[in-house]
Amino acid sequence: MQLKIQYVSVIVCIFLATGAAWAASDTDKDYREELKNLKIFVPEDAQDRAYLGIKEKSGQIPLENIKADILIIEIFSMYCPHCQKHAPVANELYQAIEGNKGLKDRIRMIGIGVGNSPYEVAIFKEKYSPPFPLFDDRNSAVVNAFGGILTPYYFALKMNKGSAFEVFYSKAGGYTDAGEFLNMIVKSSGIK
Amino acid sequence: MKRMIQVATLCFVCILLMGQNASAVSQSMSSAVYDVGTLKPIDSILNVKVGEKAPDFTLNAVSGGVVSLSDYRGKQNVVISFVPAAWTPVCSDQWPGYNIAQELFKKNNAVLLGISVDNIPTLYAWTQQMGTLWFPVLSDFWPHGSVAKKFGVLRSNGTSERAIFIIDKKGIIRYIDVHNINKRPPLEEIIKELEKIR
Repeated sequence: MQLKIQYVSVIVCIFLATGAAWAASDTDKDYREELKNLKIFVPEDAQDRAYLGIKEKSGQIPLENIKADILIIEIFSMYCPHCQKHAPVANELYQAIEGNKGLKDRIRMIGIGVGNSPYEVAIFKEKYSPPFPLFDDRNSAVVNAFGGILTPYYFALKMNKGSAFEVFYSKAGGYTDAGEFLNMIVKSSGIK
Repeated sequence: MKRMIQVATLCFVCILLMGQNASAVSQSMSSAVYDVGTLKPIDSILNVKVGEKAPDFTLNAVSGGVVSLSDYRGKQNVVISFVPAAWTPVCSDQWPGYNIAQELFKKNNAVLLGISVDNIPTLYAWTQQMGTLWFPVLSDFWPHGSVAKKFGVLRSNGTSERAIFIIDKKGIIRYIDVHNINKRPPLEEIIKELEKIR
């Protein structure tokens, strides 16, 4: 009897672990804690640092060091065919932001290559020429924290009282109309 | 008490293994991909060595016709990418990455041959999800896994290893990576090895 209970415990543990993995694959999970703890490598490119308002020149920094009212993050992978197909539309989103005088200094956009080395991110960059900064996952911190995340996955974060970002949009998948997506993000954020 | 420790250890190992299997999943394939869980990293014994002549083979291509390894003799270096099975997590996010790196293969005068033990219709449906692939995808379905067996990368369950072989223009094997089946071989390693034989 005692043995049966122990094996039931094993099954429950496996079930719980499976549940955790399944939850990690949700299509609209906000990954609030993961984003809060996320650190990105300071870009080597001075233009990227200037775009993001990053003062540091090396090392790792939290997302809060990025100067923006709204931060749009695309989690992608160089190996993901859907991310590859979506790349031109992501570029259009950047252009739509930069083409809007009221938004261009308030919204920033980045891409993070989950599980991708600097080499792999460079291949993606060479192929699709994204005009916004891309970050790699050289220490596997992103893939370990966001394991099972569907790509592409979009987050929009709003800066709260100048100190911390708050997630207000999170969803798996891209979009087909960059303008419509931007309008939705601005409306959802409540910024004026 | 001893048994409780054994049970707790088992729980811990199960959870650890699931964590190790964590990877990003392409959204376009997520609903169709079958999660195989964490597998024994390597389950075969190589039949070939670096420096030996690669065994020739002829296989049916998904795009039609047949492809032989000897077709490239004296012309191009060949990178063979064996993947275990269609519609599984790591495999579905491997060839699409190679697909956008065509220039790197071209620069090193190399062709890529993707091989799986799946049949042609399955491979056709699967690779359609990846966009237009620039390299031939070959079916090692019948006699089942015969090419994988020649190279010594056929696993005991009939799938192949996740393995990379680089064969130079003379037909000599220059690099072998029978990779942990649960992980993707880094593209930079393949390109680095190709650059050595350029």
